[in-house]
Amino acid sequence: MKVEEVKAYIASGILELYVLGDVSPAERLEVEAMAVKYPAVKEELLAIERSLEMYAKANEVEPGDKKRDAILNSLDYGAASEQDNKNEAKVVTLVKPQINFYKYAFAASLALLIASVIALLSVYSRLKETTILVASLQNQNREIASTVSLKDGEIDVLRDPSFKLLKLQGTKISPSAAITVAWSPVKKKVWIDMATAKMPSNDKEHQYQLWALVAGKPVDLGVFDADTISKDMKEMKSITLADAFAVTLEKRGGSPTPSLDEMMVIGKF
Amino acid sequence: MSRRQKISLSEEDLIAALGKREKIAAEALYDMYSASLFGVISRIVIDTAIAEDVLQDTFVKIWNSFASYSAEKGRLFTWMVNIARNLAIDKIRSKDFKNQNKNQELENNVTFIDEKRNTVYNPELLGLKDLVEKLKPEQKSILDLVYFKGYTHVEAADELGVPLGTIKTRLRMAIVQLRKNFN
Repeated sequence: MKVEEVKAYIASGILELYVLGDVSPAERLEVEAMAVKYPAVKEELLAIERSLEMYAKANEVEPGDKKRDAILNSLDYGAASEQDNKNEAKVVTLVKPQINFYKYAFAASLALLIASVIALLSVYSRLKETTILVASLQNQNREIASTVSLKDGEIDVLRDPSFKLLKLQGTKISPSAAITVAWSPVKKKVWIDMATAKMPSNDKEHQYQLWALVAGKPVDLGVFDADTISKDMKEMKSITLADAFAVTLEKRGGSPTPSLDEMMVIGKF
Repeated sequence: MSRRQKISLSEEDLIAALGKREKIAAEALYDMYSASLFGVISRIVIDTAIAEDVLQDTFVKIWNSFASYSAEKGRLFTWMVNIARNLAIDKIRSKDFKNQNKNQELENNVTFIDEKRNTVYNPELLGLKDLVEKLKPEQKSILDLVYFKGYTHVEAADELGVPLGTIKTRLRMAIVQLRKNFN
């Protein structure tokens, strides 16, 4: 670069802006390179710096007297190089805490939200399980209650003195068959006891039918199966008068008249 | 006023002591430069208490980032005053400051501050002040905008309504004038 060009560079006003810190990073590097290369630029820079320093001095304002101690006490002394780095890091982070705070606050909120959703889901699924459990317990309870009331009914039958117990004995075609009938002429009720019944099991096309013999005529008292699972007493149709009870094997649903050759058990008072 | 003896070191000694983080360096730094730096800060930040906070921040930053100062690239004061100016500008542009000072008139604060304070009663400086008065008004106004109000030259051109080139020329002429007077 010629002397004139260096002079023009100096006259351009860039050096003043450099001293004021009002240049781009590229311009800064350029000025610093020029200052190293051309003593005239370096000299000019120094002169600008000195005059602005004097200008600041001419416009100086004394801070409050108490400020000196406050400021001097706020500085860390000693341990040069290490402190430098540490404190430099501190200076850099001066602006950051707020950003970090919001960043962390946001992350924390998000984590909390996720945790809440997970907790909510688990509570919801447990609630669902509990609801199912409660429903099944209610069902069981209902079953037990109905069993209990049934058993109560059975006990009532056994306790009631108006009930007569009659054991029907097997006939020739089924000598080992037997069933107990409980009958109360007062209450007009007939029960059969499935717990002690010994009836051969019937197929799907056939059912047992209970008959009462009233003055030599058979009266239908309903049908039943030789149920091996149920041990309950089963209530049949009601009747006030009966001389005897008998069970025949009939087609499913029962017959209007008994098939006497299929009579399984009979019992008379 | 019982004036304490101010500590003063040569720039060379001061820089050496600053490098070692000696307390004497901080004291000398404060005594030698606090008023000059505060002059710049308090013209940008009008509220004295807030300006003093900025001064404190400035000293802390100077102290802690002194390793990044390079004597080859310029004078110590140049480096420090740019830190002070930047912190002051950051302060008045910060959200909480703006909220506090919505009604604060920031225009003409250079004149305002000089009317408000009579702090500069220093016989050594009287000569300096006279020399500053020799600046042409348009030179003083550009110098005050960029030096004391922290305007970039682009913002100053906008504010004064003159082309960028003119701003640069005026600024250079103002500083040349100062140099004539000071040297």
